[in-house]
Amino acid sequence: MKLSRALAVTKKQFLTIRHDKRTLAMMLLSPVMAMLIFGFAFGTSPKHLQVIVVNNDKGGLASEYINKMDHDVLSISTSSDVSVSKDKVSSGDKIATIIFGSSFTADASPTKSGITPRGPIITPAKGAHINVYLDTTNQQLSSVVSQSIAKGGQDLAKSKGSKSGVSVDVSYAFEKAKDARYIDFFVPGIMAFAITLFTTLLTLLAFVGERVTGTFDRLRVTPATETEIVIGYEIAFGIIAAIQGALILTVALLVYNIMVVGSIALAMLFVILVAIDAQAIGILISAAAQRESQAVQFLPFIIFPIFLLSGIFVAVKSLPLWLQPFSYLLPPTWGIDALRDVMLRGWGLEHLWPHILILAGFAVVFTILAIFGLKRSRNQ
Amino acid sequence: MDKKVVTFSGVVKEFDGFKALNDLSFSINEGGLYGLIGPNGAGKSTAIRIMTGLIKATEGEVDILGYKPQDADVRPLVGYMPQEMALYQDLTVRENLEFFGKLYSISKKDLKKRIADLLDFVELSKWDKTIIANLSGGMKHRTSLAVALLSKPRLLILDEPTVGVDPELRASFWQRFEDMRADGTTILLTTHYMDEARRCEKIGLINHGRLIAEGTPKELLILTGTHNLEDAFLSLARRKKEAKS
Ligand SMILES: Nc1ncnc2c1ncn2[C@@H]1O[C@H](COP(=O)(O)OP(=O)(O)O)[C@@H](O)[C@H]1O
Ligand SMILES: [Mg+2]
Repeated sequence: MKLSRALAVTKKQFLTIRHDKRTLAMMLLSPVMAMLIFGFAFGTSPKHLQVIVVNNDKGGLASEYINKMDHDVLSISTSSDVSVSKDKVSSGDKIATIIFGSSFTADASPTKSGITPRGPIITPAKGAHINVYLDTTNQQLSSVVSQSIAKGGQDLAKSKGSKSGVSVDVSYAFEKAKDARYIDFFVPGIMAFAITLFTTLLTLLAFVGERVTGTFDRLRVTPATETEIVIGYEIAFGIIAAIQGALILTVALLVYNIMVVGSIALAMLFVILVAIDAQAIGILISAAAQRESQAVQFLPFIIFPIFLLSGIFVAVKSLPLWLQPFSYLLPPTWGIDALRDVMLRGWGLEHLWPHILILAGFAVVFTILAIFGLKRSRNQ
Repeated sequence: MDKKVVTFSGVVKEFDGFKALNDLSFSINEGGLYGLIGPNGAGKSTAIRIMTGLIKATEGEVDILGYKPQDADVRPLVGYMPQEMALYQDLTVRENLEFFGKLYSISKKDLKKRIADLLDFVELSKWDKTIIANLSGGMKHRTSLAVALLSKPRLLILDEPTVGVDPELRASFWQRFEDMRADGTTILLTTHYMDEARRCEKIGLINHGRLIAEGTPKELLILTGTHNLEDAFLSLARRKKEAKS
């Protein structure tokens, strides 16, 4: 492995781009365009949202409330430990913890103390209230959870003939993300998607082009190895992806005033990792295409799985159970998850190193497969 | 005995059961100018792709300068001009040469001089900053030849170097091949222009993946009692067919 040769491949790729204005325009415009178009898209209504209920109520009203909540939308588990339950929300395992205090039933009943207040000073009955510890970094999910909780309270009040509902005190697992909007949640998904699509497409076309024009054969009769060729391409596309990622982030910040709680550099690292995975996939797919026109036909097969499965619109956790394993086989799923953690939750390396390992693992596996695929054609 | 630069013995190449090469044997002496001549589909490019290690023979032995074709050590010693243009259309002539030069790990200083010499040799010095897509067919061919010569190969393999080349350029190509030979380079080229083959030192006539005759152009004419190589080929191809049936 000679770095100088790999870098020669890298440089050559940039020279190609310089002379090919259309590719250059596509590379710079398409991420921006994607941002503008997809920014307005909507997702579907989620299901099976994981919440924990801590029921300390001495009476029976809390249980009634819990029964009133939509068990299709909320997947409810119970716990008796408030702090453990809250930690599960802070660590991203659950979306919310709903806490019923010991006096929930008592607070709700109008004659709780047996003493009727006299005189002009009327202390209003405190009324029933619950505490909800909520993760709002996934707008789509947290708003559904809030609605379900509120709806449960209204239904309970109605069934008891009471006018006042249950008040909900919300505290936020991720304080900085409490004002996160749908777009804040959406941008990380679009970033990973745009980078994956363009990088896969560019690599695919570059490699099919090398085959069609015969330059690939010419490369392979030089001392350059398949490994050097693939690494050279990876460096080139990694740099391109970083530029695209920077452009997407800039548009997101300027046009949508997007929330970035964590480190922008870490977000860029994930963008680059996603790109490296995408270009290795591009090389792999290129083996199956004889011409550019064929390569383009692979696009829907790249776009739709990522669109539907990687958590851009529909959170992976609210997908049908049988589909979820496929989600985790797509590198963008991990990239999007990590980007949201960085940008909305403000998580750093201490939380996200497994994501880096997984994305790097995909990169290593796909790269080895790509190199192996190129080498194998010599044995034909 | 002459030193062999290329030796094919009993080479078979199958593609999905179809024998593109069928027991092909021939050898090329050091410093020779060998023409592998045959019609389209005869198996010329397949033989070359095996020589350059791009694909593997199904059966038989191939020796290139004492190496197996797929041995990485032999690659700097062999120059290859593919049948297609095989250049980066969006790079200039010089950028193409620099890129491939770097893949041969030629030092910057040497590469600069080497490129200057090659541009001079193929008469493209004035066009070095033009992108390939904007060159004429002949200029592309000359650039392609220059790329094949970058590593100063001991063996130069040219697959149909004169197809689609105008007569003037073709004459200048042959002049160049002879110049290189004088410098000690061994050359193997293919062509389906029988007529052109008379300029080779030695000819292998190939049809349906087999060598049907081998010798100097003169020997082949005498053998067949014909006056040009085209007739010689047709006569030999017919004889082979009759022998089979
Ligand atoms: N990769 C391949 N797969 C299947 N058949 C092939 C392949 N390469 C060449 N052939 C077949 O082998 C035969 C010889 O081809 P080729 O060596 O290109 O001929 P030539 O260069 O003499 O015109 C042709 O019939 C061609 O179709
Ligand atoms: Mg051919």
